[in-house]
Amino acid sequence: MDADAVAEDVTGGRPIGVAIVDDHPVVIDGVRAWLASEPRLRVLATGDDPDVVLRAAPEADVVLLDLRLHGRMVLDKLAELSAAGWRVVVYSEHGDPETMLAALDAGAAAFLAKHEGREHCVATVLAAATDRPYVPPTLAGAMVGDPRPDRPALSDKEREALLLWFQSMSKASVARRMRISEHTVKQYVDRARIKYTRAGRPAATKAALLARAIEDGLVRPEEIGIYRSHAQTDRPTP
Amino acid sequence: MATESGTALPPAVAAAGAVAAEPVPAGAARRAVPRSRGSAPGAVPAARPEAATVASAAADASDRGARIAAVTIALAWHLAISLPAVLGAWQRMAAPVLVGAGWLVTAGVGVATGVRLLRGGPPPARRLAVALLVVDAVVFAAAGKAVLFTPANWVWSGLAWFFLLVLWRRPVGWLLMLLGAHASIALGAVLTHGATAPADLTRYAMYVYGTSSLPVAVFAGAAALAALARDRTRTAAAAGAVAAERVAAEQARQERQARLALVSGTAEEVLAALAAGDADPADPEVRRRCVLAAARLRRLIAEADDVPDPLLHELRAAADLAERNGLPIELIAVGAPPELPVEVRRRLADPLTAALAAARDWARITVLAGPDEVVVSLVTPDHDGPDPIGLDPPRDGTGRRDDPPADGPRPAPSAACRRGGQVTAGDPPEPDGGGPVEHVHERDGEIRWTQTRWRRT
Repeated sequence: MDADAVAEDVTGGRPIGVAIVDDHPVVIDGVRAWLASEPRLRVLATGDDPDVVLRAAPEADVVLLDLRLHGRMVLDKLAELSAAGWRVVVYSEHGDPETMLAALDAGAAAFLAKHEGREHCVATVLAAATDRPYVPPTLAGAMVGDPRPDRPALSDKEREALLLWFQSMSKASVARRMRISEHTVKQYVDRARIKYTRAGRPAATKAALLARAIEDGLVRPEEIGIYRSHAQTDRPTP
Repeated sequence: MATESGTALPPAVAAAGAVAAEPVPAGAARRAVPRSRGSAPGAVPAARPEAATVASAAADASDRGARIAAVTIALAWHLAISLPAVLGAWQRMAAPVLVGAGWLVTAGVGVATGVRLLRGGPPPARRLAVALLVVDAVVFAAAGKAVLFTPANWVWSGLAWFFLLVLWRRPVGWLLMLLGAHASIALGAVLTHGATAPADLTRYAMYVYGTSSLPVAVFAGAAALAALARDRTRTAAAAGAVAAERVAAEQARQERQARLALVSGTAEEVLAALAAGDADPADPEVRRRCVLAAARLRRLIAEADDVPDPLLHELRAAADLAERNGLPIELIAVGAPPELPVEVRRRLADPLTAALAAARDWARITVLAGPDEVVVSLVTPDHDGPDPIGLDPPRDGTGRRDDPPADGPRPAPSAACRRGGQVTAGDPPEPDGGGPVEHVHERDGEIRWTQTRWRRT
């Protein structure tokens, strides 16, 4: 599973606090059950109002936010939380690419389609807690199919990795198909995601993702901001 | 993104790899089919831009008569009325040379504009209008008080027709503005020359009305006629486009019927074999042939070129069928496919339909579409059964015959022991915007992966 690399980085100390915001109690229970399978995660507060939930759990590391609350898309609330530095993982049954990309632009740490299931959910939350990218297959599809003229310039390898990951949901298969290692596949996918931190308005969460990516050696500082001229420099960093 | 059916599928991890590719045969004879609505003969999208040109040509032709009339009136008036009046009153004018020079300039403008109007595009309205106004003011001043209200002050009655020529096809407001300026210059001259008796002012008003009303009427009438003609032509063009579309749709229908007859034939073959006892329903191979024949029939029925997105429609229909057989299917589409030639669409969809017939446990179909690229993929768990039959593109009854791939349908392999280089076959580019369709089929012990990819060339 692709969360392994992330898991090693989470030190054994304090568990990761998660707040769940959804207006359907049954969904909250379901997500809580998913997260309960991972000992490093602890659900601190749940509810249908982000402000109330976050007041109850100000120490939450990750907020799982249903993008549709009481019949309204809360992209503005997402932008507000992200600007304030909350690591928000959006999960939604609205898996249309426009919504997904809008959520990334608004500063979401990740976007998870509700049907993507437990493993992707846990992996996404673990990655988000350490400001690392995680791209579930559906989001990969939205990124590689991004039709907007101002979309980030992805390299051919990054696009191919995203496409194959979207299609197969198996990084092992992608690795075989591209004749590279699974680790490299993940690097291509993650680098594509990091390029998306440059899209939309700035947010604290985007800066944190970018900073961690540089720290991890996923991207080089000189690559930031001038992606177009570096489009062919897609050799993964060691 | 349209998630047709949700199943949480763990991304698979597998060690053994077996890679194979089924080349799409090259050099298949191309069929003369309407490639798409857009490129069908005389179809709508092609007709639309033309309609605008045709409409403007019609408008152009319809007011040609009006243009000839306007040019004739302006020049005839200038020559037959203004000139004799100027010459007759030469002695009584304050500065007859200036008046004569003004007449010559105006004649030049009139001839140049007339040629432009009858030959080609509109004349440079602004510059000519300014020139005419300068002539207007100069002649009013140079004519003097003695001939102010006589035909010798020719600009008053004659110039309006030249305004008309210069501003042909421009908004009527421009003409009104120019006539307003004309009236103001005249009023200035009347006041400067001290002709302020009530009778003079009345005459002034009469002159302004008399010299403006007819040109405005002609101008507005011509504009209305042109607009009417433009409308009529547009309507006619739209009707023509509808007729063309009907012809194209009829062609597509006949085409479909021909293919339906063929596919029905293959279905009948299986049914006949079953009925005669030559084929055993317990044989998985026979069952797959049945499913495949049914899927093709269904897809063909779904292959309506009038559906906004035929590719997705086809894939959905195939997915529906497989789903009905108890196979959970996820179908996710990102982006809208461009209008694709029927041939390209079939090459994209057929291998998927075939692979779907052999899928077990679950299947994930993805479509990623942009204006220049469409990638369709099917991923299902690998199993020991044979690769799907029919991964070679189907034959049809319109003169096209696809040779089966050189390596043919694969024998049942033990998945783990097949490990091979990936072969990717592309067709040569289609002559008219088709572009090659690449087809890759591989199995790695964990998943079976069928991908078709079209790129615009």
